Amino acid sequence: MSLVKRPTASAEWFLPGILAGMWFTLRKMVFNIFHQSKMETLNYPEQKYEYGPRFKGNHVLTVKKDGSIRCTACMLCATNCPAQCIKITAAESTDPTVEKYPIAYEIDVLRCVFCGFCEEACPVDAIRMGPEWQTAALNGSKFTYDIQQLAYRPQLKGGIVSVLDDHERHGAGI
Amino acid sequence: MPKIKINGNEVEVPQGSTIIQAFKATGVEICHYCWHPGLSVAGVCRLCMVQIEGMPKLQIACNTEVKEGMVINNTSDVVKETVRWGLDFHLINHPLDCPICDQAGECGLQDQYMKFGQYDPEMAENKVKKHKVVDLGPTVVLDSERCILCSRCVRFTDEVSKTNELGIFNRGDRCEIGTVAGKPLANNYSLNTVDICPVGALTSKDFRFRQRVWYLKEADSICPGCSTGCNVKVNYNEEGLWRIRPRENKEVNGHWMCDVGRDSYKFVNLKNRLVAGKVGQRGSWQEVTATDAARSAGLKLRETVAQHGPDSVALVVTGQYTNEEYHRLFTFFTVNLESNNIFHWMNNPETTKDFDGLLFRGDRNPNTKGVVDALGSFALKAKWEDLQSQLSSRKIKVVVVAGPENQAVFPDMTEKITFFAQAESMIWLTAGQSEALNQTGAETWQIPLKTYIEKSGSFTNVQGKVQTFKVGTTIVAQAFTLSEVVELFSGQELNWNLRPHSLGGVKTNYSIANRGAL
Repeated sequence: MSLVKRPTASAEWFLPGILAGMWFTLRKMVFNIFHQSKMETLNYPEQKYEYGPRFKGNHVLTVKKDGSIRCTACMLCATNCPAQCIKITAAESTDPTVEKYPIAYEIDVLRCVFCGFCEEACPVDAIRMGPEWQTAALNGSKFTYDIQQLAYRPQLKGGIVSVLDDHERHGAGI
Repeated sequence: MPKIKINGNEVEVPQGSTIIQAFKATGVEICHYCWHPGLSVAGVCRLCMVQIEGMPKLQIACNTEVKEGMVINNTSDVVKETVRWGLDFHLINHPLDCPICDQAGECGLQDQYMKFGQYDPEMAENKVKKHKVVDLGPTVVLDSERCILCSRCVRFTDEVSKTNELGIFNRGDRCEIGTVAGKPLANNYSLNTVDICPVGALTSKDFRFRQRVWYLKEADSICPGCSTGCNVKVNYNEEGLWRIRPRENKEVNGHWMCDVGRDSYKFVNLKNRLVAGKVGQRGSWQEVTATDAARSAGLKLRETVAQHGPDSVALVVTGQYTNEEYHRLFTFFTVNLESNNIFHWMNNPETTKDFDGLLFRGDRNPNTKGVVDALGSFALKAKWEDLQSQLSSRKIKVVVVAGPENQAVFPDMTEKITFFAQAESMIWLTAGQSEALNQTGAETWQIPLKTYIEKSGSFTNVQGKVQTFKVGTTIVAQAFTLSEVVELFSGQELNWNLRPHSLGGVKTNYSIANRGAL
């Protein structure tokens, strides 16, 4: 069954509505010219809005205190990911204190739906979603983020340190 | 046959069986670690506790024989509490590294905790640190922290492989599994210890960290590694096969299989396979679809028979195909082409009778008995020497070779390919790629075949036992079984609606596959 909504009699009188809208625009324009500091819009891209740290933007892989990658390649994020955009290749580490680590960690950000399930699934605070949100790029291939991009991109200034440290945990008897 | 009562239900079990066997036979759930149906009873985990009417204390089900009129239950509160806190003791020193543990997803501890545990741990002490990532030998890695000392692996090396490499060292909470100094765990059955390990203490080097087990699907099959024909489970996903594990069959392999057989997933995977038909000679190949290759090869075969008579063609078979395929192929040759030139290519006649006393045999073909039986039932008596003389006298124009799918067990591949190439034309039916074909001068058709996991059929093992298996997965969509090739050879059509689809990886979205090409 399809419903067709026919215009009511009052809707045929469109001119008052248009005039009211234009009056609002005119009023705001005049207001903005004289009170520029109170403007509600930003002059993007010269001005940019900074979201809070809880915003679910671009992914960040955290690092340990020595700067190496925190991820243990347990693949819980990849398992939990509803968009199946995470691809991890695990390997055995040469470091005796580390057993398993990712030699490749790729996020296909065009498939990503920014739901934050990866962040929730991670048992060691290895992946977070940060406040960055500008993901434009020139070429389609630039949207597959690798470890270099996720953990050590210039905006992160050498990497974000994870809150969970293995040495501290082992010291505490866990 | 004593009659007993399990949780209120009366059942009849064979004389001399233990309570845990009665539980397993009747399908009643019971918590246990150290007991394994293929090994002796150790009674060390103390988790299979049951309450027996008339006995003052709880008993372990694995080491108590059933008696007439026993009334047993494992659902009372006493039993439940005992099992729960028994589990707590097992987990005192067990690290919580499930995310990086390869056993996670098929772990005894995880399963039992969810079924019988679900307590809040009350242990305040620090966990005992032990050795991690201990290299036990060429195939197995040990993590002592995860070990709960069920001693299954120790009993396995004592009783089944009889190599006695493993033992339990130290005392109390410093107990560790280990090998005697300087003696690695290196026998042909070492990976069975990984299978029976109920936790992630023993892991296979071959499979370690390569896949999480919950990504894998499972299919039943028959191991093509040797003529024993062990019953196996194959784990696969979209990318191919990842590992093979034994499936219980008391008459053939018990609970075990050998390490050599576990490698027989490798030749199935895409990078080792012939994925399309190839026509040409001396390494200059023209890629065609498998169907076109089979059709043109069949045309050549029939033309040769029409021109030079049925003795101008020959068929060479290996012991790696199913009974059904042999029957179809031999029927085509003997009835349609009226040729009796059918030869059996034995890869290792000198080691065929070898047997290590447990499972592994020197005959590395799954169906040697099947091909010999089939040759007998068609009354084919051609000798290998006949092929030699007929090839060198140029009497045979076209030779059809149903080559091996597992080429690693055919050490004489290169030599034999040069030998077959004495004929004018060669129709090479195989699953894998062969480098040696690039050197030969004969006009060659390469037609891709399916491997054991991609087809249904039956193998006859060395005992004469016919074991059937079904399609597990598809790796090469174009590949044929020998029966399908014969249909195309004889000029008939296949039912194209029943052909499998290719796997083609996880993501086949066009825009993603071509990303970066803007």
